Amino acid sequence: MTTERVDDATTLTDDERRTLAAIADRLIPAAHGMPSAADVVTDERLRFALNARPDLAEPLRQALRPELGPDLQARLDTLGADEPATLYALQLVIVGAYYTDAGVRDGIGYPGQVAITVRSWEYPQYLEDGLIDAVLARGPVWRDPATGTRARTDNAPNTYAERFGGTPPEGDTHGHDRA
Amino acid sequence: MASEPADVLIIGAGASGAVVALRLAEAGFKVTCLEQGEWLNRADYPGNKLDWELKARKDWATSPNIRGLASDYPIVEDDTPVSPLMYNAVGGSTIIFAGAWPRALPSDFRVRSLDGIADDWPIDYFELLPYFYRTDKQFGISGLPGDPAYPPDTEDAPMPPLPIGAAGLKVARGMTKLGWHWWPEFNSINSTNYDGRRPCVQRSTCQSGCNEGAKASTDLTHWPKAIGLGATLITGARVSRIEHNDKALATGATWIDRDGAEHFQPAKVVVLAANAIGTPRLLLLSGLGNSSGLVGKRLMMHPFANVAGLFEEPLMSWAGQFGDLIESLEFYETDEKRGFVRGARWGLAPTGGPINTALPSRAGEQAWGPDHHLHVRSHLGHGANWGLFAEDLPDEANHITLSDTVTDASGIPAPEVHYRMSDNSRRMLDFHIERAKESMDAAGAYKIEVDRLMRYSGWHLLGTARMGDDPKTSVVDRWNRSHDVKNLYVVDGSCFVTSSGVNPTSTIVAIALRAADHMVETRFEQQVPA
Ligand SMILES: Cc1cc2nc3c(=O)[nH]c(=O)nc-3n(C[C@H](O)[C@H](O)[C@H](O)COP(=O)(O)OP(=O)(O)OC[C@H]3O[C@@H](n4cnc5c(N)ncnc54)[C@H](O)[C@@H]3O)c2cc1C
Ligand code: SF4
Repeated sequence: MTTERVDDATTLTDDERRTLAAIADRLIPAAHGMPSAADVVTDERLRFALNARPDLAEPLRQALRPELGPDLQARLDTLGADEPATLYALQLVIVGAYYTDAGVRDGIGYPGQVAITVRSWEYPQYLEDGLIDAVLARGPVWRDPATGTRARTDNAPNTYAERFGGTPPEGDTHGHDRA
Repeated sequence: MASEPADVLIIGAGASGAVVALRLAEAGFKVTCLEQGEWLNRADYPGNKLDWELKARKDWATSPNIRGLASDYPIVEDDTPVSPLMYNAVGGSTIIFAGAWPRALPSDFRVRSLDGIADDWPIDYFELLPYFYRTDKQFGISGLPGDPAYPPDTEDAPMPPLPIGAAGLKVARGMTKLGWHWWPEFNSINSTNYDGRRPCVQRSTCQSGCNEGAKASTDLTHWPKAIGLGATLITGARVSRIEHNDKALATGATWIDRDGAEHFQPAKVVVLAANAIGTPRLLLLSGLGNSSGLVGKRLMMHPFANVAGLFEEPLMSWAGQFGDLIESLEFYETDEKRGFVRGARWGLAPTGGPINTALPSRAGEQAWGPDHHLHVRSHLGHGANWGLFAEDLPDEANHITLSDTVTDASGIPAPEVHYRMSDNSRRMLDFHIERAKESMDAAGAYKIEVDRLMRYSGWHLLGTARMGDDPKTSVVDRWNRSHDVKNLYVVDGSCFVTSSGVNPTSTIVAIALRAADHMVETRFEQQVPA
């Protein structure tokens, strides 16, 4: 993997750091109960994002270079028109650092990639609600190569209960292997 | 440096190579596999870590050109609107595949007879059925039996279906209103403990590797068993050429290790399982098996469009198997009134995490400034995505060549992809986009966003060494054996005659198992080099 550690995130010059904060605040300002990215994207968060993506360090510096001038919108417009990859790197660093912050995740109600138990022994709601019966009632939808037309299957089940004698799909064995 | 000769040398340890290795090892063959990638440790996969969405865009990107890892080779893709995607490791692309497991349909094998276009396959659905049942057990499939889009089965999926989630239920209700076909998706993902692997925990990070081992990838489902039966798997081994003798029989393969040293692996039989980019690349590099002139031609990649519906209520759609929640085959079969032939499968997928939501969308929509927060709040966990996989008809103009200028890290010429989406496919996608919008509408979406052709969607690589009975118009025969080189087989998706409109892996591995069975049955008639 290409992940060498980047500990020099804070070696952005003061100027670059200020420009980054100003852009972060422009893209994601404090509003609607959420904090500004300028406050959330601390050195620590920046280091986190760049450790995950050391390849972004260089384009980030490019995006913050002083030659692009003091006007933030003009900077974003120029990057968008001439250097879309550099602009994307800038956005990704800000967004990546912001949305990996615990407080921000709380604010948007996102718990992260948490493990959720699959309850495969429970009768699915769609069966309960008869949604599958509606599909079965229409009969086969595949085209039979022998006739070239929609297949006909004699005695095709019309309801899920008919297909399975009313039993739910074979459920879990509560932790025991099946094969 | 030469090694011990193998009965069978397999090139590529992905989906098809693993299936063939296991079957042949079971039958007592001395199997050696050369794989350019390495063994991975699923504890390292980023899915259960805070930096997942950052890593998913680089080290875990689905495009080898973006990843650029030592195990990857570059693909020249200036002349294609769709980028080929894959993973190079033990397990191949199954490491990052989503796990959706539909089978090709009966009509897919008879496109010429039914629709007067493209070609028929020399084999058919019913002949493959026993192999589907066997590979379904090997990979571990979860699904609700009885889908009326397929002929009735005599064997059910080995595990009950995965949940379809709030998003799946919402869209299923919409489909019911319209009277359209939908079904809970079949996935090669455990819904229960199965074969020593744990059930899915719904992280939705399947395309960055599955931390749980719940998703079938052949480094878990096949290779440990094949190796236990005596198969040898050499990693970090990039094959540069298949060698042959003056009787036009393959004698083995030359490969290059990570330090650049060259090796030769002798073998009685060579099996190519390097996928529909890697396999024609090797055949072209070796100047083998191409008397038909069709090696590398007829590349098919399933042009893909995405229709995203946004709903007022929270659907928690950052969670759920990425395989698919539900599918629809309502508009799969040809209806000429629509102005095109063949059709597309729809698969409903979860919509990703906050970074994905915050960045410009697939459809190019972005929101910055104070509205950014409203955008994230209204999108994150509130969406459902219909992915539309269009059947791509074979066209010799869509092809792979060897680059004159670009090489991989081992100095081997890179493949160059030349591909256009056909007018038939464009009309097909346009029609399906409109129907999918109606479906989202019926489900109650308040906003619908469309990506009409996604660049990073070349997941399904097919057709570049097609199967057929006539050596003049095909590369391999109905048993996946080269017409020209009698001890050379191609068992990956290269052998597809037409692409079908469904995710192909279930069909690829059924065909590979059938070919392996045939190798076992005909072992005493097999021509081998002296
Ligand atoms: C992101 C993603 C999502 C997908 N989702 C789905 C899905 O939901 N459902 C579905 O059906 N399909 C899906 N697919 C497609 C699926 O992964 C492939 O169809 C399947 O893995 C193809 O199997 P294969 O054996 O042909 O090749 P692969 O699995 O690609 O394996 C080929 C192997 O050959 C090796 N190789 C190549 N060249 C050489 C060489 N010169 N020397 C040594 N080794 C070599 C490679 O390193 C690789 O490991 C997805 C693919 C991707 C990339
Ligand atoms: S959703 Fe399930 S299959 Fe996918 S990565 Fe998570 S545990 Fe694995």
